Amino acid sequence: MNKKSLTPFFFVGPHLILFIVFILLPTIYGIYASFTQWNLINDPVWVGLANYKTILFNTESTFYSQFMNGLKNTLIFVVLSVPVLIIIPLMIAVSLEHKKVKMKNVIQSILYIPGLISISAAALIWSLIFNKQLGITNNIFGSETVWAANQPYAWLIIIVITIWGGVGGNMIIYRASISGVSKDLYESAEMDGAGPVRRFSSITLPSIRFPLIYTFVMTTAGAFNVFGQPLMMTDGGPRQSTTVLMMYIRQLAFGHGESIAGMASAMAVLLGLVILVISALQYYVMNRNAS
Amino acid sequence: MKKKMGVSLILVWLAVAVLGGCGNGDKNTITFWTPLTGDDGAYMDQLVKDYNATNPEYKVKHVITSDMYTKISTVLNSGKGVPDLSIIHADRVPSFVKQGVLEPMTTVMQAQPELKEDNYLPQAWATGNVEGTQYTVPLDIHSNAMYYNKNLLKKYNVESFLDDDVVTIDEILSLQGKLDEGDYVVNDALLGWVVLAQIQNLGGGIEQDGKPAVNTEAMKQALTEIKKISDAGLMTPFGEDGYLMFQAGNVLFSTDGTWSSTAHASVEGLDFGVTNIYSTSADTFTNRASSHLFSMLKNEKRTDEKEQAIGQFLEFIREHSIEWAKAGQIVASKQVIESPDYDSYIQSFFTSNDKEIESLYIYTYEYYPYVAEAVDTYAGDIVRGNVDIDETLVTMQKFVEDKIAEGNSGAK
Repeated sequence: MNKKSLTPFFFVGPHLILFIVFILLPTIYGIYASFTQWNLINDPVWVGLANYKTILFNTESTFYSQFMNGLKNTLIFVVLSVPVLIIIPLMIAVSLEHKKVKMKNVIQSILYIPGLISISAAALIWSLIFNKQLGITNNIFGSETVWAANQPYAWLIIIVITIWGGVGGNMIIYRASISGVSKDLYESAEMDGAGPVRRFSSITLPSIRFPLIYTFVMTTAGAFNVFGQPLMMTDGGPRQSTTVLMMYIRQLAFGHGESIAGMASAMAVLLGLVILVISALQYYVMNRNAS
Repeated sequence: MKKKMGVSLILVWLAVAVLGGCGNGDKNTITFWTPLTGDDGAYMDQLVKDYNATNPEYKVKHVITSDMYTKISTVLNSGKGVPDLSIIHADRVPSFVKQGVLEPMTTVMQAQPELKEDNYLPQAWATGNVEGTQYTVPLDIHSNAMYYNKNLLKKYNVESFLDDDVVTIDEILSLQGKLDEGDYVVNDALLGWVVLAQIQNLGGGIEQDGKPAVNTEAMKQALTEIKKISDAGLMTPFGEDGYLMFQAGNVLFSTDGTWSSTAHASVEGLDFGVTNIYSTSADTFTNRASSHLFSMLKNEKRTDEKEQAIGQFLEFIREHSIEWAKAGQIVASKQVIESPDYDSYIQSFFTSNDKEIESLYIYTYEYYPYVAEAVDTYAGDIVRGNVDIDETLVTMQKFVEDKIAEGNSGAK
């Protein structure tokens, strides 16, 4: 009996160990560090809520303006990227269901592969595409803009690379869940005279409600953690208008000179809280509307 | 059931074994960390290989470590896996010494009498000396350098700019309106370093009584002078890759680093030379520089024998680091730079006379990294006229002060 009750732990054991070592303990330590002043080398000095006070209320402080600017830019990215990262994959998934579409798996693979390419490699390719001297945009389409150095183009290239790399993941989830919807429903709806739009809104959408909620929440949380795209494509410019919060956090903790890890941790904890609250809200609202 | 449990146990054991494998090598090995992730790493690999081929009692194991400073703080915290020897940058020395994480080179220097100030470029040696104690032995100086396109200089008939080895901002401005469309006089590569050089040219500094001095007249003047070049349309446009434009043959001068010479040399048809960074005045010039320094992070497990062995390795480097010149760096060892072979390297220009050697300026202010970060973040926008200079200088000063305030109380 005793042996039996232990068995499950051996199955979840490896995951549990990895989770505790690489996620739980660092998270707890990160929260602790946010209440300290710490240069990563000497012992952390407990300062209570001082870091949070500076970040949230001391309008004179560099850290206040960095946090606010970073959060603002992160929110801009979330608002711009999340809807398209839901709608485009959904559209692709639905259109791939059409009877006349051939080579569905090939198309799916082509769309999915960019997600497997590392962000730095992808950013190099895309920054060459948008390069003023060498790029396609300027030589073929005759654009005269330095994309990474002017708004709104800087955001545009960040969003383009994000969509390029991000549609595949959600699309696969949608395709899998759409294929699970009973064909009978579509056939009977068709017999009742429902058009494609009606079939989509009355059958497809309600049937894939949970995958939709899941992807919406996860895509949003992922978008809040954006880092690689702006770092590689614009380096936060022009005039720090694409410097997202993760970039400030990293600069403070692992940037030039002595580390300011306490302040960086406090910013990270605040970002985590924002993600937590927004994800919970999304889940609550969508789930309520759905039922 | 037993079988399944066995498999799970093996899995867990494997995980433990894999994670546990991150320990240090055996005791007759000098673990040597460097942040040399690019081509530089390969040249250092070769040097280490050459040293190990001499069959020393302690062999050196070169570990190229990306994100090295983050990893250093991790190993120092845990006390495990601290490397025996590491290469750090000059601007890290003051804070590492203040935090008490560097071992003095005293034992090493006693064991190897040739590891002494006289045998190295003075500023490379001095940057590792804090209050009379020597903490580092230098490998090189890597400096801001200005490459010129020989064909373009000829085309615009301005080869005379190079006569006195100082290209002044006035000389650059004299080309206004004389260039073909698509050609530029200078690019904005390493602009922050160029700004920091002008501060020296103007007799300014970045600290006053230990406090950071960013919002100063010298800084303002330095930025204003460089802004003139941009305003005249002579600097490569904002946001464009001026480094590539130089390699493409559209820019007369490129203000990048000594290490770029190998990349420029690989560009077909680019006929280039090197000179000093342009200056605000014809009387003086400065090339902002940094240095790769051998250092020993505090580690109680490092035996005296090992320190002596490290000394042997550093002595070997002192004598044989001509290999390092291939990476484009200015070698710190006088024996190497005085050898005739070294003259074939383009960077030997910077050690060709005393005035050149003096021009290699390494900032040693404790909070220099924060000042440099502020300059790098804001200088581009100031020079391009995207922001108001006075307001931005206030922001920069505050930026540095806030960061220092955080760091200060965090340290013991």
